[in-house]
Order: sequence, then structure tokens, then C-alpha cells
Amino acid sequence: MSQDSLYEQAADTYGSSLDRLARAYEFDPEARRDLLQEIHLNLWRSFAYFDLRCSLRTWVYRVAHNVATGHVIRQRRIRDRLVSIENIESMSGSDQGELAASQTEALERLSMLIQRLKPLDRQIIVSYLEEMDAKSISEITGLSPANVGMKVHRIKNILRRWFGEGGLHAK
Amino acid sequence: MPSEFPVNDPRNIWQNQHTEAFKMSADELRRKAQQRERKSRFEAAYTIIAGLILFVFFTRTFSRAHELAPRIGFGVLSFWGIYVAYQACKRIWHGRLAPDATLNTTLQSYRSELEKRRDYAQYIWREAGLTFCFLGMALVIVPALIKSLDAPRLMVNFVPFFVLLAIWCAVFFPMRKRNRRKLQQEIEELGVFEGGNRS
Repeated sequence: MSQDSLYEQAADTYGSSLDRLARAYEFDPEARRDLLQEIHLNLWRSFAYFDLRCSLRTWVYRVAHNVATGHVIRQRRIRDRLVSIENIESMSGSDQGELAASQTEALERLSMLIQRLKPLDRQIIVSYLEEMDAKSISEITGLSPANVGMKVHRIKNILRRWFGEGGLHAK
Repeated sequence: MPSEFPVNDPRNIWQNQHTEAFKMSADELRRKAQQRERKSRFEAAYTIIAGLILFVFFTRTFSRAHELAPRIGFGVLSFWGIYVAYQACKRIWHGRLAPDATLNTTLQSYRSELEKRRDYAQYIWREAGLTFCFLGMALVIVPALIKSLDAPRLMVNFVPFFVLLAIWCAVFFPMRKRNRRKLQQEIEELGVFEGGNRS
């Protein structure tokens, strides 16, 4: 398959996921649009090297997360304030508050949680929210499945605290 | 907006948020990639021109200087101009994306980005040839400073320069050290996961 047709296929299949992924990394709509464009451009360029060493999905997510992570790392003020899943898990219940009243509020709360996380943890939570299993997350991130499993377990605990029982709906 | 999904199911909330259909055409992608390459070549070209201007300026000053130390200083500074132009020349053909820049696992890529940030100052120092710049400036300034010891009023002229230099050193080095320490700490945290992968 050519570079263009691979990109077409990826954009058709994962376009919405990439949009959501960009939201996990950039709050500002203008900057998010630029980031999304950057992800698409890098994705297209990367397909010149696509050699089927992994699935199209793994490839797409790796490229997208790597571009978005670079975007976060360049913003030093933001980078310095990021915390790990472990930090959030060990925090007292002050973040939890009451359960969200509407879907919009719940989405805002979820986005806020994601954007506080360090890149690697952010990649895992986004993959988890996109219904990926530990093996797929492991292929994308390069973490061992055991490490991913441990992180996902923590994510579920946090989501349960923030959203109620829904945080436990995991495969 | 009516709530179609339970507000306590984060996966549903995440997946059913409004998204825009974003896709770039092949022409648009090519045009963007070409624009990017052109921009990076222009930037390199500007640096080459700036380097050559510095070279011409310092060579002229070199030929007019009479004393040995400032003469060597201007010689070093003119070499610095050439070095800057040479580094920009090397960069000019490197506008394209490196194959491994986006294809590594996210852990490898994250680590390499952090390492790049950690080593940034060192890299910039080498890339911009700042050793030549500071050595040349020292050779030009120090003899003038020594001369002014006999005339303290001349010495006053150097005060603003040294005050600014002292402020810059007092702010820059501790900040850099703190930043490097933070980045190193984060790299070491990633090392724990990499170790976990090997075991």
C-alpha cells in the first residue's frame, strides 16, 4: 500500500480517536487544531517507513502519542506541574467532590484529570478509555504488560473515586 | 444536551464526546511538508548569512587591530562566524523527519525527548560554537580592562556589562541546574519501568 492510501485508511479509521487524543494533550481549541494537524502530518510522513512490524493501530497511536508528548514536553511551565497516576491515587479525596451532574461536566472533569498527568500515564489512561487491553497498551508504550496492568488498576481506582462505579467497567 | 450515557461511565463519556472529522488531502500534506522543509532551509540560510556577516566584520576588525591579544581575539571571533555558518550548512539538509523520531515506542520516545531537553544547554553550546565566541570576547575585553586599571573612570564603562553578566549567571545557572535535576529524576523514574520490562 502506498503512503497516501495508508494515511487515508488511518485517518478514516482512527480520525475520531486522534481528535480525542489531541484533546487529552491540549486544552486550548486553537492549539489543539494545530496539534492535530501536526499529528496528521507526522502520521503521513511516518507511513513512508511503515513495514508491518506492528499493526496499523499500534503504529498510528505510537506516532500520535509521540508527537503529542513532544508538544507537552516543550511547554516547560505545564510540564513542571504534571503528576503521576500514583500521586493522584495517593491524594486525599479532596479532588473527588460530588459526582458529575451532566455528561458535559463529567467530560470536563475527565479531561481535567487527564491533563494533570505526566505523558506516559496520560498515554495509558487515553488507551484505556479507548477500550484497549493491556497487551495493546504495552505494544504502544513499550511498558511490560505487568506494568500496564498495575497502572490500569490504579486508573480504575481513580476513576471510581472521581466518577463512581463506572470506573470499574473494564475488560 | 440530553444525557444519553450514564455520567459515571468514563469510557462512554470519553468515546462519545463530540469530535470533528479532520482529514488532510494528499496534496495538502505534501504542501505542508514542503512548506516545513522550505522554512527550515530559510532559517538555516539566514544563519549562514549572519555567520558570514560576522566573519567579514571581525576579519576587518582583525586587520585593523594593532595589539596582539585583541588581534587574536578578533581572529577567533571571525572563525566563530565561519563555524556558525558551517553548522547552519550542516543543518540545511536535515529538514526531513528522522525515521526514528516518531516510530519508537512511546516510552523510548519520551525518554529521548527528556534526554534532549536535559542536554539542550550542552548541545546549544557546541552547536553555536560559544567557546569560540566567549574566548574571542575575553581576548578583546580583558586587555582593555587591564588598561583601564590605570584610569578608573574608564573602568566605570565596564560596570553595566559586568553587573548584567553577574545577574545572568546568578539566575541562569541555578535554574539550569534545577531543571536538569528534575529531568534526570524523571528519566530515572522511566528507568524503573525499563528495568521492569527486562526482568
